[in-house]
Amino acid sequence: MSEVAHCSYCGAVLARKNDRTTAQLLAVTVAAGIVFVIANVTSILAIEFGGVRADTGVWTAALSLDHGWMFWAALVLAATMFLVPLLQIILLLWVLIFASVARRAPAYKYALVLLHLLRPWSMSEVFLLGSLVVIVKLSSWVHVEAGEGIWALGGLAILLAILSRYDSRDWWDLVEQARP
Amino acid sequence: MSNRPTAAALGLIACHICGLVSPRTATLLRGRCARCGSRVQVRTSRSTERTLAWLLAGMILYIPANLLPVMSIDGIQGRQEATIFSGVSSFWHAGAWGIAALIFIASVAVPTTKFIALGHMLWSVRRGALTGQRERTQLYRVVEFIGHWSMLDVAVVGLTSALLQFKALGTAEPRAGIACFCGVVVATMIAALSFDPRLIWDGEASNG
Repeated sequence: MSEVAHCSYCGAVLARKNDRTTAQLLAVTVAAGIVFVIANVTSILAIEFGGVRADTGVWTAALSLDHGWMFWAALVLAATMFLVPLLQIILLLWVLIFASVARRAPAYKYALVLLHLLRPWSMSEVFLLGSLVVIVKLSSWVHVEAGEGIWALGGLAILLAILSRYDSRDWWDLVEQARP
Repeated sequence: MSNRPTAAALGLIACHICGLVSPRTATLLRGRCARCGSRVQVRTSRSTERTLAWLLAGMILYIPANLLPVMSIDGIQGRQEATIFSGVSSFWHAGAWGIAALIFIASVAVPTTKFIALGHMLWSVRRGALTGQRERTQLYRVVEFIGHWSMLDVAVVGLTSALLQFKALGTAEPRAGIACFCGVVVATMIAALSFDPRLIWDGEASNG
């Protein structure tokens, strides 16, 4: 059963009972790290035409936007689809590895504040949906192969969604239970 | 007026970063949260001004984002310059209504909803509206939640121009419209993050 506290003014969720243990959260984060690596080293989409193969992932998609002054759109794409999810996973691993042995991670305050600020800018699931749109878009024209990366990206989107059910306060409570 | 307690009436204040609730006077004197060290203020300073500035920036960028092509495709049928709207309508005419609807929602409905919703919130805070606070706060959360889905078109253009690089088949290149559209998404997200939803309830506090 889920227990949820709502604001009596606006109905927002104030707090939610979270049953997962530190070990389970660490496992989810490690899994997210693994699928993140897979999603970024394998191809997400590929086209084969006339014996030539072109494939793409997060990096190549961002680099293809890098045209003159448009480089900053490439930066935004690389940041929201690659750098921010990567930082989220690293910061969570950092605090959770220490929390799992009942310790507070060094500099955990900075890690948790940064995690809170990064959260709106994490967009792996948008990239996943974009890949699916491209498959449909080009399929009337040329055969588009979904690579291993797209499954990894799907896994990453689900795992990050599980972790983002925990808000800033939950992470602070979890970390500060441990001795300094 | 309601008799529900407010944090102010109880002498408490919450940190917006880590959620710690602490004694109001001491925290405000120190100006920083005792737990995470972030700035704690009764209301975020110049929240409405900053929201308005980013909102206007987003609205202005939305004009070139729609007028300029977002992608150019050189294919067998010659060169096609696609705009956001032509992308939606080509999916629609090809019978891919689901995809047409999805791109329409992400590229047209979401940004315009954000413009209208944030504009309405700023306007009602300015005139100190005393009705619909609950609905407006919920609207704010919807705007926050849908914000990043507009990046969909940027991802689609990036992926397509990375994939479609065949001389015999066709080549795709991004165009200025997509960078403007990316600017719209970033500006409206910062606008939403700059807005302090506590302002919505201030009319009640000062009249209650």
